[in-house]
Amino acid sequence: MKDKVTKTYTISTPIYEVLSKFRETIKSQSPVAVGSIGKITVVGKYIYLNEPNKGIHVIDNSNPASPKNLSFINIPGNEDMAIQGNAMYADAYGDLVTFDISNPLNIVTKNFLANVFPDHSMYSLGNYLPGTIINPDSINVIVGWSTRDTTVDYNPGNQLATPMYEYNNCANCAYAASAVPASSGPTIGTNGSMARFSVVNQYLYTVGTNMLTAFDIGQSFMPAFSSSLLVDWHVETIYPLKDKLFVGTNNGMYMYDIMTSPGKPSLIGQFTHVRGCDPVIADNHYAYVTINDSSACLGFNNELQIVDISDLGNAFLVKTYPFTHPVGLSKDGNHLFVCDGISGLKIYDATDVINLQLIQQLSDGTFYDVVAQNGLAIVVAGDGLYQYDYTDLNHIHLISKL
Amino acid sequence: MRKLKPACILFLLIISTGMGFAQQNQKREDWAFQSINNMGLLVGQTGPAFQLQSINGARYKSWFAGLGVGLDDYRFRTIPLFVDLRKDFGHSHHSIFAYADGGISISWVTNQEKMAYTHEDFSNGFYDDIGIGYKIVLGKNALQCSLGYSNKKIADTYSSPFYNVDLPPVLAPQTIHYSLNRVSIKLGWSF
Repeated sequence: MKDKVTKTYTISTPIYEVLSKFRETIKSQSPVAVGSIGKITVVGKYIYLNEPNKGIHVIDNSNPASPKNLSFINIPGNEDMAIQGNAMYADAYGDLVTFDISNPLNIVTKNFLANVFPDHSMYSLGNYLPGTIINPDSINVIVGWSTRDTTVDYNPGNQLATPMYEYNNCANCAYAASAVPASSGPTIGTNGSMARFSVVNQYLYTVGTNMLTAFDIGQSFMPAFSSSLLVDWHVETIYPLKDKLFVGTNNGMYMYDIMTSPGKPSLIGQFTHVRGCDPVIADNHYAYVTINDSSACLGFNNELQIVDISDLGNAFLVKTYPFTHPVGLSKDGNHLFVCDGISGLKIYDATDVINLQLIQQLSDGTFYDVVAQNGLAIVVAGDGLYQYDYTDLNHIHLISKL
Repeated sequence: MRKLKPACILFLLIISTGMGFAQQNQKREDWAFQSINNMGLLVGQTGPAFQLQSINGARYKSWFAGLGVGLDDYRFRTIPLFVDLRKDFGHSHHSIFAYADGGISISWVTNQEKMAYTHEDFSNGFYDDIGIGYKIVLGKNALQCSLGYSNKKIADTYSSPFYNVDLPPVLAPQTIHYSLNRVSIKLGWSF
């Protein structure tokens, strides 16, 4: 006597368009309501807020109590961004797009580098080398999908027979804040900890599923591919600290030197941990790694690991703290901000990393990422953008929600 | 077996309640309250699984109608809630009977039975069990066994936690519909 098992799912058929036409749609337009939100970059009074696969909201945060949605940059396939001076670098599927953001009300598309992120590519160029000039009129790209539902017989023991598309993007896993010291050069945007783009000293660094790629952005609006190197499988985040890069992967944290040869980072150390999604930030002595059990990362642990990185070649675990579902994190001075999923935002006094002291827990939403600087914590949540004033640690309070 | 413990306690409570009603109705001849309590196996493609049932209702001469609740551990743990109709044929001390059950199978799926997707919901489905049996009357009670065909339906809807920008950036849910066919073997006690 046999069981009858069927599976109902959606079949999607691609809709194509010529690449040049597709690129014409990547431009600044009137503001649109903020929907699902992803990565975040903060530059001065502006917040650039990614809406996964759709584009970037430009928000005037001159008054954090009343942020204003200024404009929206339509960028299909966008997940990440980084900013230096008046140049913003963003991915549009596999392409790197450069924008002039000197006028936030009229952001101008300046340049495309074709297919430099093959993990996310929407078209194939065969044995193409990054940086090669292409004719965008000769390439068709997928710009949408038509869908229909279907039901088929299903064998639960044969997962390969199912249309499972499994990539590691973790677009909504989390985010945190970088700690690039202020320099005399152009202003660099502060990214969340889940960023996969980072700018350091005239170079843009990006991570894909398993690669770390460097671009020379000496000419702001004309980025040039420098190098690409294999890191590990399931690379998630990149975090800059002075002349080092910290790359978070499912299996651990990798540390790269970018002082000796900025265009070609070199591995100087690594720290292995249990499998899990793991945004990472760092200060001069410690790296703070949150590990969560998101299915995308095949992990089971939910914890914060503090790693001594005084000797990058010999990093070691100092202490582990249990959490609910820790994701993005940020550090401002001795204060550590950790987004802990449904448990909200937890703020600690991290003066003594052996004994973190919880200052306050804010449970207004399910928080994913935070950028904390100058008494203002900008927090990405599932239902919007929250801002908290923490200038008085005894009276941390919500000042706005967008 | 740990997961069966609460169900067994519930089962004993239902039986003891039924015994109270039964004792109040012993003197009635045509109409009588009756409680039928079964345990047994469900055998099918997925292998044998345990089942428990308690059916309580009214008997009129050779006919019986009642409401049943149970535990069905085949493939996915479920709680069947059903209407039971049955009729006896033959001798008053031992007889053949036929039964038909129809109702809803309420999902009570264990974590081990899930596929471990972040978003996974099981929905309830139709439940039926039809068969024949043999009953031996022992005073005011009866021992009975039965053989039948049983089917339960359950649907598992889940979304992949992954998505792929190269492919549709939509977490379209997928639904697996299970229609589980089993041979139902039961041994029961009625009073």
